[in-house]
Order: sequence, then structure tokens, then C-alpha cells
Amino acid sequence: MNNILLLEDLPEIRAWMKALVLQVFPGAAVSESARVHDALQLISSGSVKFDLALIDLGLPDGSGVDVVAKLRDKQPDALSVVVTIHDDDDHLFPALQAGAFGYILKEQARELIAEQLQRISAGEPPLSPSIARKVIKYFAEQAKPQHDPLPHVQLTERESEVLLRVAKGFTLPEIGVQLNLSRHTIADYVKQIYRKLNVSSRAEAALEAQRLGLFGRSR
Amino acid sequence: MLGAVLHRLNPVRRLGVCRQLATLMALCAMLGAATAATQTLERALAIASDAPSFPSEHSAVELTLPDDWQTSRPGSSGSVWYRIRLNLPAGPLDEPAAVLVRRACGALEAHLNGQPISSQDGRRERIARQCYEPQLLVLAPALPSAEGNVLDLHVIGEPRQHVASSLRAGGLSVPIIGPQSEVAALYRQQLLVRSTIPHALAVALGIVGILAFIVWAGHRRQHFWPYFGGLCLAWTVLLVGWWWPYLPLSAAAAEWLITTAAAVATLCGVQFLLRYTLWRHRGVDAALWAQCLLVPASLALAGASHTFAVASAWYALLALEFAAALAWFLWLTWRFSRREFALASVVAGVAAVLIGLQIALQQLGPEGPVDPWWALGPPLLLLFAAGLLLYRLGAALETSDGMQGILEARAREAAAEMERSFAQMAEMRVEQVTQQERKRIAADLHDDLGAKLLTIVHTSENDRISSLAREALEEMRLSVRGLTGKPVQLADALGDWRAEVMARLAQAGIEGEWKAPVDEVTQALPARAYVQTTRILREAVSNVIKHSGASYCKIRCRLLEKDFQLVIQDNGQGISMEFDGKLDRGHGMASMKHRAKQMHGQCLVESGPGYGTVIRLTLPL
Repeated sequence: MNNILLLEDLPEIRAWMKALVLQVFPGAAVSESARVHDALQLISSGSVKFDLALIDLGLPDGSGVDVVAKLRDKQPDALSVVVTIHDDDDHLFPALQAGAFGYILKEQARELIAEQLQRISAGEPPLSPSIARKVIKYFAEQAKPQHDPLPHVQLTERESEVLLRVAKGFTLPEIGVQLNLSRHTIADYVKQIYRKLNVSSRAEAALEAQRLGLFGRSR
Repeated sequence: MLGAVLHRLNPVRRLGVCRQLATLMALCAMLGAATAATQTLERALAIASDAPSFPSEHSAVELTLPDDWQTSRPGSSGSVWYRIRLNLPAGPLDEPAAVLVRRACGALEAHLNGQPISSQDGRRERIARQCYEPQLLVLAPALPSAEGNVLDLHVIGEPRQHVASSLRAGGLSVPIIGPQSEVAALYRQQLLVRSTIPHALAVALGIVGILAFIVWAGHRRQHFWPYFGGLCLAWTVLLVGWWWPYLPLSAAAAEWLITTAAAVATLCGVQFLLRYTLWRHRGVDAALWAQCLLVPASLALAGASHTFAVASAWYALLALEFAAALAWFLWLTWRFSRREFALASVVAGVAAVLIGLQIALQQLGPEGPVDPWWALGPPLLLLFAAGLLLYRLGAALETSDGMQGILEARAREAAAEMERSFAQMAEMRVEQVTQQERKRIAADLHDDLGAKLLTIVHTSENDRISSLAREALEEMRLSVRGLTGKPVQLADALGDWRAEVMARLAQAGIEGEWKAPVDEVTQALPARAYVQTTRILREAVSNVIKHSGASYCKIRCRLLEKDFQLVIQDNGQGISMEFDGKLDRGHGMASMKHRAKQMHGQCLVESGPGYGTVIRLTLPL
């Protein structure tokens, strides 16, 4: 993790976050930004290839979700993590659909955030029951026959199984024990779920755009 | 609809109507015949003269009565003297004899043996006034002898050219002589039929006509009522001939009025028939109204001597128009309301026959094959029609009463439905506005309070303050959730709680055990109950982690019939009862109990030193 984008409008929190990030990833170059506009410019310019982006959602000039989407578009290798005060799925789910790989609640204790950061960067994103329920519902909607078929974006049986158990409140290690799977494998499933959520959402968005005629001429 | 009316008349009433008709017809038949004791006086000497008494017999012509001036002296007008020789058969002479003159048109003066015995009209004007009523001449006190008596009758009348109907043309019918009592009886019968009944009919028609207008005033949508009223009133005027002696009208004015009334009657009759079948044509309207002006104008232009010719032409035309309207009426009835056709055709047929008889009377006069009494046919038919119309109106009223009941019920239903949906809409609107407002408050709380609390969390040097701020932030988030949230499925809530509790226990190094029904949980928790329960559970787990020193914690959820039970049990050191009061604030037992109470539930704490702590939370679902 060499280049890190930090998008946060409160100066104190930004400073605190920067210190925390540097503690977890010593020697990283942190690009700070307080506004969506600046962050988008930074990403578009391509001058810096980010490895990790910590993105606040509620910003004075817009939503962090746009930054997540832009990053997914321009620098797909960058890992977007939502750092927010909102813990409800109404706020988090759009960010996850846009390509965020996990989320961190800001008010948690320093050690906890540090641990979560490390896990996410190691490919073990968190998944709360309410988010899991939302994901289940989303894919169930996609599978409905009247919906436009989105090929190849379907959850496997195992992924669904993991989601269902998360929704019931089981922790990932518990699920690993129940399904007789290693911690890594469970993490891979969760990662895969995040990826599919993003891919499906993007395909859906493209389809929607096509329906609206945005790409109709350029074919 | 007429058919329906006749159908609804019960048999007794139908029979009654028939009996009345039969009685009337019998009366008519009786009037023609004279009784045995009476004689008709058919032979007379006649001479046209204006003299005050019968002039010399030399120039007189013998003729047979009745004398119709149109045949005996066409074109002549003025006065004619008739001399009749009375040779009575032997009989009781203690009773005075009397002569009945059924018709002497228009004024009559009588002399017996040269002495005047009656002068109906002293003014001796050339007017045709007395054409309908019978006259009784009492040969009082008694005839001097049975033979050799001379009765002179002086008749003053109009020639047919000057009147619109032969009924009012000059002439003398056959006088009848006999004992006064018998002749008077005959006279009374004649008077009834030729005066009383027509007068009564005229009054009745007038009242019915006015009533029709009153009905129309209250029921404007039935357009035929004013025409029916107009028809009745116009026919009242047509009956004016029978009233003539009592009305201050000159002969010419009366003829003019009667003929115009016939045009108006045709207008009203035709329009009534058409309106009744809901048919209307502007051309017909205009032509009929124009005709009402043309008739009097043409009479005035033609002059008195052509009155009969012009009126005859008009009457024929009017009768044809009415016949055409009747045919059209029957055709429309046949097409659109077959059920009424039977009665409609009967009434129309009677009407057509009666109109034909009127024309015959107008042409042929009183001594022709048609009895003048038939002039009363149309008024009778009009009264019958008025009865039918009123019956129909009553029936329609009854139907509409029934309909009104149904409509009222429907209107009430519709109003109730509207109120319901309005209330629903208002509720939805309130809900919507409330939701928007809550979202705004929630966003404000997050943006302002949240940001500040967060800053305290991460910048405070004091651990206690930062942890308090963190708790405050969590509290705030829960409050917002309670504020904005919809009911939470209990299954989802159990998932959330399990994830949080197990993660926190694991972090604190305490072995956790969670027992809850996993499947078949369909109940929902109100947002507030979810939030408060989350707080209580969070507080309880915090107590276990911070104060109990336990190594094991068991959380059990149970769904009872109407309640939801949450039991948190640890194997820690328990809460000593002595310390309870002091420790309570730190342990938050009081706030847990308070919150449970707010939700109409209860929170029980069982604890003793060395026995661990059990918290039982029971909430109604």
C-alpha cells in the first residue's frame, strides 16, 4: 500500500485518520482531499496510481459514492473502502454496488479500525447481517424472470449459503466452522460476493443506459 | 305506457267505466223519443218576415218541420214566422199544455192565438244565440178549446254562410206538444244533455287545462303537459257555443273566436302527441303556430258572408293534420313501446272517429244523421286522457320514490367510500410528510451532532470521554433509526443482535452462546421496540464485559404466545444486593427497567454474589 487516497472533510478527523493509516501502512504516500470535486480530479488526472482509498460518504459538495465509482472506472486496481459515520445499509449499499470493498465505521476505537483496515487490505472485507440481507434481496430481484437477464452474474450456491448465514448473525469464523471451510475460503466467498455485486450493478447500469438510448448511436 | 295503465285498472273499475258509458248511451236514446201522450208538430206555414206578428197567410208556404234554412231558403238571413195549427186530441184539459222546441236557432218568439206567450230575446237582434238549448213554451193558463188554436213561432237566425258550423245556422226543429208535466220532463232531459252537461264539461276541461299547466310548472321536463293544458283550454273555448247566451260576444266575434280556438286546439293536440312520443320538429312547430295566426286572419279577410266556406276548409285541413299526427304517434308507439300500443291505438281510434263526427256535425247540422250530442265526445275523451296522464304521473312518482331510495343508498355508499379514500390519502400524505421530516432531522443529526461527537471520540485525550462520546454516537444512531425506521422483521433483528453480541463477547475473550429460534419467525418489531431492545441488550452485554468478570455468557431468545423473551445469563461474580443501589448507575439496571416499562414489558434482574447474573427481558409483541 504505497499510495493512499484519503477523502474526509473534517480536518481533525482527517489528521487522525492520516496518522492511523500511516501507523498501519508505514511509509505510504497519503493524498488528502476534503471535497468530492478535488478527489475526482485527482483520480482523473492519473498522476497517482492509488492502491487504497478511504472515502467518506457525506461530503459538503457531494457523495463519496461518486468517487468510489470513478475509482472503479479509472483505477480498477485501487481498493475503495468506505469510512463513514452511517452504519445503515441505505447509505452503505450504494457504495458497495459502486465498487467499495468493505466499510469502516469511523467512531470505532483506533485499534479496531486498524485491525479492520489490515483485514480489508488482506482481502477479508467485513459483511454485516443487514448488508447480507440486502445483497440476497438484490440478487433475488435480478433472478426474477421479468427482469432483464444479466448473464454470468449469479451467486453460486456456496456464496448464497454464506450470505444466508451472515444474515442470521453468524460471524465469518463461525460459518467457516459450520461449513468446514478455512478462514481464507470464507473470505474468498465474501470477496466474490462484493465483486459480483459490483459487476451486476454495473451491468444493470449499462443496460439501463442502453434502454435510455445513451449508447444507441455509437454502436 | 297507456296499455300498462289499462292493464293496471282493476276489473271492478273497468266495469264501472263501461256501465257509465252504457247509462249515457241509454239516456241519449231516450231523448229522441216522445212519450205516448205527446205529439210532434210537423206541419207549419212559413213566411220570411220581420213583422211583429204573423203576416198574412196568403204568401206563406206550407212545409214540413224541421226546417233547415240552408235547404229551404239558402242564403237568406233574418227572421221567419212559422204558423202551426194545434188540434189536440181529446183529453183532460185540466192540465195546461206545453210545447217543447228542441232547437230554434238563434232567437225564438212565440204567439198563441195572436197573444205573445214568450219572448226569449226582447231585443230581437239578428244573432244566432240560442242554437243549443231547448225551450219550453207553456200554453198558459189553458187552451180555450181543443181545436182551432194557432201557435206562431218567430225565429231570428243567421244563414249558414255567416257561421262556421251548421250547428249555429238558422232553423227550427220539430216542436213537441203535450201535457205540461210530460213535456217539462222531456225538457229537463234535453236541458241536462244540451246545457248542464256541456257546461259542466267546459268547466271541468278548463280546470284540467289549468291543472296541466300547474303540473308542468312543477315538472318542466315533461314537455307535453303545457300542450295538453292548451288543448283542454282551447276545447273549452270550442264549447263556447253552448255558453253563448251568457257571454257578451257578437255573433261574428264568437265565430272568429271558435274557429281560431280550433286552430289552437290542433296546434296543442298535434304537439301533445309528438311531445308525448318525445318527437320534435322545428318546421312542424313553426307551421302550427303560423296556422294559428293564419286562421283568424283569413276569416277576417274573407268577410262575414264567406265564414262557413273558409271555416270548412280550415276544419278539413285541421282534421287532416290531427289525423296525420295520430298516425305518426301510433307509428312511434308501435316502434318504441309495443306494450302501450293497444291502449294507444284504441284512444287514437276513438279520437279519429270523434274528429270525423265533428266534421260531419259542422257540415250537416243538427238535423243530420249525427246527433249534436257527439260534439261532447272530444271533451269526454280529453278528460279520460287527463285521467290516464295523471295516473301515469302518480305511477312514475311511486317508481321514482323507489328509485330515490336506491339512489340515496348508493349515494351514501359513494360518500362513505370517498370519505374512506380521502382519509386514506390524508393518512398517506401525513405519513409521507412525516417520513420526509424525519429524514431531514436524521441527516441533520448525522451531519452536525455526529461530526462533533466523532471529533470528540478521536481527539479527546481522556479515554472515558471518548468512550462516552462513542456511546453517545451509537445512541444517536439508534435514535435516528427509531425515528426513521419501519418495523423490523424479528428474524432480521435477531441476526443483527447475534452478530453484534457475539463479536463483542469474542473481542472481550468471553465465550458466548446464542440460542434463538432461527426459522419460522414471522413477527415484526416496531422500530422503537427494536431500538430499545438493542439498547437494553447492548447495556447488558456491556455489563457482562465490564463488570461481571465472567468467562461465559449465554443469551437466549424465546417467542412465547404474545411475548418475546430475552434472557442474558453470565457466570460472573454477580451483583451484590448491598451494592445494588450504588452500582446501579454504572450497571444501568434502572435505565434498562425504565426502557422495558416504556414498551409495556418488564426487565427482571436476578443476581447474587458468586452466582452470576440473569437478566430477563419480556416484551409484548
